[in-house]
Amino acid sequence: MTPTDEHAPASGTPVRRKEDARLLTGRGRFVSDLALPRMRHVAFVRSPVAHGRITGVDTAGALEVEGVSAVFTGEHPAIAPVALRAQSGLPGYVETDQPPLARGKVRFAGEAVAAVVADDRYLAEDGAEAVVVDYEPLTPTVCAWAEPEHPVHEEAPDNVLLSRTFRAGDVDAALDGAAVVVDRELTTNRHGGNPIECRAGVARYEAADRKLTFWSGTQVPWIVRTQLAELLDLPEGNIRVIAPDVGGGFGVKAVLYPEDVALCLMAMAMPGTPLKWVEDRVEHLLAATHARDHRYVLRAGFAADGELLAVKADVWCNTGAYSVYPWTAGIEPLMAGGLLTGPYKLTDYECTVRGVATNTSPSGPYRGVARPSTVFAMEALMDSGARALGLDPIALRRRNLILPADIPYKMPSRLVDDSGAYEACLDKAVATFDLDRWRAEQSRRRTEGGRPIGIGVGVYNELTGLGRAASAGPRMAFRTGHDACTVRINPDGAVTVFSGVTSQGQGLETTMAQVVADALGVDYGDVEVRYGDTDESLWGFGAFSSRQAVISGGAAHLAGEHVRGRALALAAALKEAPVEDLDLRGGEVYMAGQEKPIISLAEVARVAYLQSDRLPEGFEPGLEGTKFYDPIRGAFAAGAQIAALEFDPATGEIGILDWVCVEDAGRIVHPVIVDGQIAGSIAQGIGGAMYEHLVYDEDGNLSTGTLLDYLMPTAGEIPELRIGHVSTPGKNPTGVRGVGEGGTLAPNAVVAGALADALGVEVDDLPVTPARVWELVNP
Amino acid sequence: MKCPPFSYHRATSVDDAVAALAAAGGEGKILAGGQSLVPVLALRLARPDVIVDVDRVPGLDGLELRDGVLHAGALVRHLALAGQALHPLAAEAARWIGHTAIRSRGTLAGSLAHADPAAELPAVLRACDGAVHVAGPSGTRRIGADDLFVGALQSALEDTEMITGVELPVPDAWGFAEFARRHGDFAVVSVAAARFGDRLRVVVGGVAGVPHLVDAGDLATVDGEISEDRVAILAAAAADDVDPADDLHGSARYRRALTEQMTARALEQLTTTVREPA
Ligand SMILES: Cc1cc2nc3c(=O)[nH]c(=O)nc-3n(C[C@H](O)[C@H](O)[C@H](O)COP(=O)(O)OP(=O)(O)OC[C@H]3O[C@@H](n4cnc5c(N)ncnc54)[C@H](O)[C@@H]3O)c2cc1C
Repeated sequence: MTPTDEHAPASGTPVRRKEDARLLTGRGRFVSDLALPRMRHVAFVRSPVAHGRITGVDTAGALEVEGVSAVFTGEHPAIAPVALRAQSGLPGYVETDQPPLARGKVRFAGEAVAAVVADDRYLAEDGAEAVVVDYEPLTPTVCAWAEPEHPVHEEAPDNVLLSRTFRAGDVDAALDGAAVVVDRELTTNRHGGNPIECRAGVARYEAADRKLTFWSGTQVPWIVRTQLAELLDLPEGNIRVIAPDVGGGFGVKAVLYPEDVALCLMAMAMPGTPLKWVEDRVEHLLAATHARDHRYVLRAGFAADGELLAVKADVWCNTGAYSVYPWTAGIEPLMAGGLLTGPYKLTDYECTVRGVATNTSPSGPYRGVARPSTVFAMEALMDSGARALGLDPIALRRRNLILPADIPYKMPSRLVDDSGAYEACLDKAVATFDLDRWRAEQSRRRTEGGRPIGIGVGVYNELTGLGRAASAGPRMAFRTGHDACTVRINPDGAVTVFSGVTSQGQGLETTMAQVVADALGVDYGDVEVRYGDTDESLWGFGAFSSRQAVISGGAAHLAGEHVRGRALALAAALKEAPVEDLDLRGGEVYMAGQEKPIISLAEVARVAYLQSDRLPEGFEPGLEGTKFYDPIRGAFAAGAQIAALEFDPATGEIGILDWVCVEDAGRIVHPVIVDGQIAGSIAQGIGGAMYEHLVYDEDGNLSTGTLLDYLMPTAGEIPELRIGHVSTPGKNPTGVRGVGEGGTLAPNAVVAGALADALGVEVDDLPVTPARVWELVNP
Repeated sequence: MKCPPFSYHRATSVDDAVAALAAAGGEGKILAGGQSLVPVLALRLARPDVIVDVDRVPGLDGLELRDGVLHAGALVRHLALAGQALHPLAAEAARWIGHTAIRSRGTLAGSLAHADPAAELPAVLRACDGAVHVAGPSGTRRIGADDLFVGALQSALEDTEMITGVELPVPDAWGFAEFARRHGDFAVVSVAAARFGDRLRVVVGGVAGVPHLVDAGDLATVDGEISEDRVAILAAAAADDVDPADDLHGSARYRRALTEQMTARALEQLTTTVREPA
């Protein structure tokens, strides 16, 4: 066996995940598990009314409850001076305050009004029950496209916090010239991320050295630290944010919440007493960020041959009661307007998007941000266009896809697409699915009987790894384009990596180790990765918009290469060999033409740290390096899904018979992690398409307040998914493209498309439930 | 989502449990499998002073067939009911309850006492015209299925009473059909159908405050084989007889349609599950 075989690259192979030994044996370290001396527990008092003035808060009863040590309200001197203000430089954006605990008025049912500190969570809840809050009700606005009676925020009398029109070409002229014009009015269903571990935090303040430690189940510890420093008026270095093992995030935990800030403020008011808050599922459904409560009014024009000529759209996104920190009310509407046209070529486009405040829980980032809705909208136009023109819907899509020859393609929203792999994904998906077989089965059932089958298709682009030129977020005060990584070779030759990533279960510890092992030339098993602790590693923005494999992976690769260069230079000096003839593999340095290693990395490291007497002239001791990486633009990732569903017109029952997804993840670092990301995101997409719906009644009460009514798909509902790949490496150090979100983008379109194909009914409102199917068939 | 304060008594016998309930003066609550009560407590929708845990009371998990009636102890788990062959309708219905973890803890009497109108076992008890045996401070009594269910989550049990056993007559033929949103969910609509001689009892779950016994008039008396036409007529009659309300999971119209479908399916099954003469 040659050394090259023995030390095959870790990337591209399903190495054992580093985190699994602890996660699979119940030894994970979650915030929920944390117990500190003198720790007390917090329960929030939440508003039962959607909109109202607070006319009185009486905490006396709560303070009498056994075990209760403190009660905080929005007027408490420790809390009152602070407010979160999500900022954006977008013209016309209305900036508003979000208090840590409601002050003066409540803006949604579930908003935290007071917080009770007690010896345990049971007692804290007993105390919370004893807090009496008086409200003078105001008329709530629940629907983002209804006239408000009492605005949510004084600053925005029409509730519109942000609006923007994307314009390219001359859409009206293009519509005039179209052979057919189709109109659709669609709404998508509010739902949310619902990670297994809800939000959680422990805050501890040491007054003597003014140090705040905040253990938080966050996806973005660095952003949290910067923002806490601003809000709490502490030097940034005095704040340590630790995100240990985190049980799922999906975007919900990429937000700094008022509860987080309240917890830190209360801890500062109670120095030396760590305060713990673990959100329960009822709170999560009520007050963690929601998403996807949108309306699309659409018009599209097609030429007779199926060419898409024009898209005109009016979009309302329900922002909820507050502009979330730091992403603002722009998070969904701007993504919707920027990506609506998806993988299709188009020159004439006009789209007005709005983020509208309502008396509902705030909307925030959720896996796929807005695009599950926009892909549904765009694919609905494609299907309607195909029906109007009498063309095959897949052929119509092909006619309009951005092709490799078009790359780089400037979308009408001016985003630059570097993918062009859409047709390759669609072709492979159609072939894998065996479209002809399913079409044959469809017609067989039409003639011989049996539940009608429909075939649904969704083609999409996932915007991943956004660099500074296309940074996530609407002109916020910071740009999320870069990340950093430090690679340190220890004196024993093993490697510790300090990465800016965070992980909520998606295996970043493993992925980063694979990348560094290969860039450096050591065994995967010799690389340990530290992350999620702001005192332990360098800057990293964290997990959102499918960015970490591209950006943090790029930084890890560059840092690995850099340190490899240093190690080889030192080896060359020690062995008096030309550095260009040396190679580092499996932790051993080889000389060209020789079979045996000439020196081990361990020995090189020993010299670097412990034997400065052997260090050649001009060599600094130590063996580590730090690199930042910013892809400047980003990597578009193409994907296509196609599925066969059957519908029982008598009951509305929906059965998924086959589901195929093909994505372009570029160069794949860990095949099982990538397939897991795709499968999990399709499952969440199916949840949104068929089950998950956060429903408010007209008074602004959440009707789906527990998992008895908010239905998430279980393993029993998700079919065997057939996942395939095409690979066009991205232009970044590791050649990857992000895969965290793509799977969520198509299921709305696929399920709605299949229903229309099976039964000839157009579904305009999601989710597609048995009841809705039945109502559409039996109007 | 943490329980309000209560004191806890682990009962060692039925008498002990009944005494503890009596001592609580109406403010006691029995805990059996905990699969319905614990969530209710966690949401603070109930605030009993005393929890009387009967889960380990011995001798309440028997299953015995006598004179065509299955006598089941209060603590028979859904899993045991699903696994027995003495009462195939009860077995089939129990398989539809929740998931394995829930079925291995939840109990027959717990489900009946909880009286969820969408639950499977109350519908079966009613379809079979069964009864529960109840112990209370003033002795024991027997409550027939038609009297046990009073309203949504309301039974005819007094606060100081405990179900000790259940009578489930074994039908000559049976059928069960259910429509739920996901595997293991409570039914949107379920139908349990049982035939005793020439008498047919069809009970619909999920359409009213209690499992609804369909009043099919003369149609409920059957003679010999039930024809396909008769199935369709009975299904339509069931749909006519129910008066569901709109809710999150479907309109009244939809539930009525499901009632017809599920009744037809249950009756079709019933025509193929005739019990062998003993
Ligand atoms: C996720 C989930 C899914 C579920 N899905 C279903 C489903 O699909 N269908 C379904 O039918 N059920 C379902 N259940 C409920 C389950 O069947 C419960 O087991 C059952 O309703 C109650 O039985 P238990 O023994 O757990 O009773 P407990 O929860 O202990 O008690 C329930 C009530 O009955 C009373 N009680 C208990 N035993 C007695 C007794 N011997 N005498 C008098 N009163 C008594 C208690 O005081 C309490 O009021 C589900 C539960 C969960 C958690």
